Amino acid sequence: MAGGRRAPAICQEYKISVAQELMNAMPDPFARAPDEALLIAFANGDAEAARALTVRLLPRVLAQATRMLANTAEAEDVAQESMIRLWKQATEWRQGEALVSTWLYRVTANLCTDILRKRRGGVSLDQIAEPTDGTPSVADQMQTNTRMQALSDALAALPERQAQAVALRHLEGLSNPEIAQIMDISVRSVESLTARGKRALADIMAGRKAELGYDDD
Amino acid sequence: MMMTDHNDDMLEDIFAQARAVASTPSDDLMARVLAGAVPPTPPVISAPPTSVGKRLLDMLGGWPAVSGLVTATFAGVWIGVAPPASIQDYTAAYFGDEVSVSIFNDDAVFATGDLTDG
Repeated sequence: MAGGRRAPAICQEYKISVAQELMNAMPDPFARAPDEALLIAFANGDAEAARALTVRLLPRVLAQATRMLANTAEAEDVAQESMIRLWKQATEWRQGEALVSTWLYRVTANLCTDILRKRRGGVSLDQIAEPTDGTPSVADQMQTNTRMQALSDALAALPERQAQAVALRHLEGLSNPEIAQIMDISVRSVESLTARGKRALADIMAGRKAELGYDDD
Repeated sequence: MMMTDHNDDMLEDIFAQARAVASTPSDDLMARVLAGAVPPTPPVISAPPTSVGKRLLDMLGGWPAVSGLVTATFAGVWIGVAPPASIQDYTAAYFGDEVSVSIFNDDAVFATGDLTDG
């Protein structure tokens, strides 16, 4: 009986290695295609292009929304809505005018600030984003969640354009020219928005320093 | 000044923690997004006309072409029925005058006098 069970295991292993070799021999046709090419392929009826585009872009969109909102459910709703808007835009996409990623950053940032605006009336208490690396203790994880929520609430208190500029600069790590393109403003305006936004954010967060686990010394 | 530096350090630390947040889309979210990715339907191509008259009309080039044909036909018939003088001169010059030729001698056809005489 045991011998009978071993044989299929070897066969399965062989099958996997063959499949792996086949995959290596035939690279994914979508792997090197630019986002725009995939979007146009989708607009022409290629459902596989949409799948490839989703696998490539959805994690980034979800991460952006999670960082700004610190709320998994809201971030998922925003990510879904951003992607649905992308599908709707596909047939009217103007080639060479904007990068798909730039367009998505803009749509996601706008959807997030819409939610932050609504949140100003009453602070959302159900969170949370998941911390990534290592296996932090429950206390550390709670501390991180509290900080992320405090950051999101502070962003909600900023004027919308400042909140978007600060989030794109300091949470997404984008350059000022990239942010200028996303927000459709000049680089100088981006510099001004991020500087004022960061200063306002620091002032707001200063009041919660002890709560967030930062000593005053 | 020191306080501001502390605040900036705190903010930078929180920014760094936020950047480290990983967001792996759940299977449910992937499914929801892909469910919305319905490829646009291609434009509906209208069925070709089925009636013989319609197909003939299309073959000739539609109403504009047919109206030209009808006008030309009527013009041709009218010129045949009531040709203008200039046309008559032209045809006379081209084809020559109309001439009647008889292959019989009018006088001899029905003459029987010689036979009865013999």
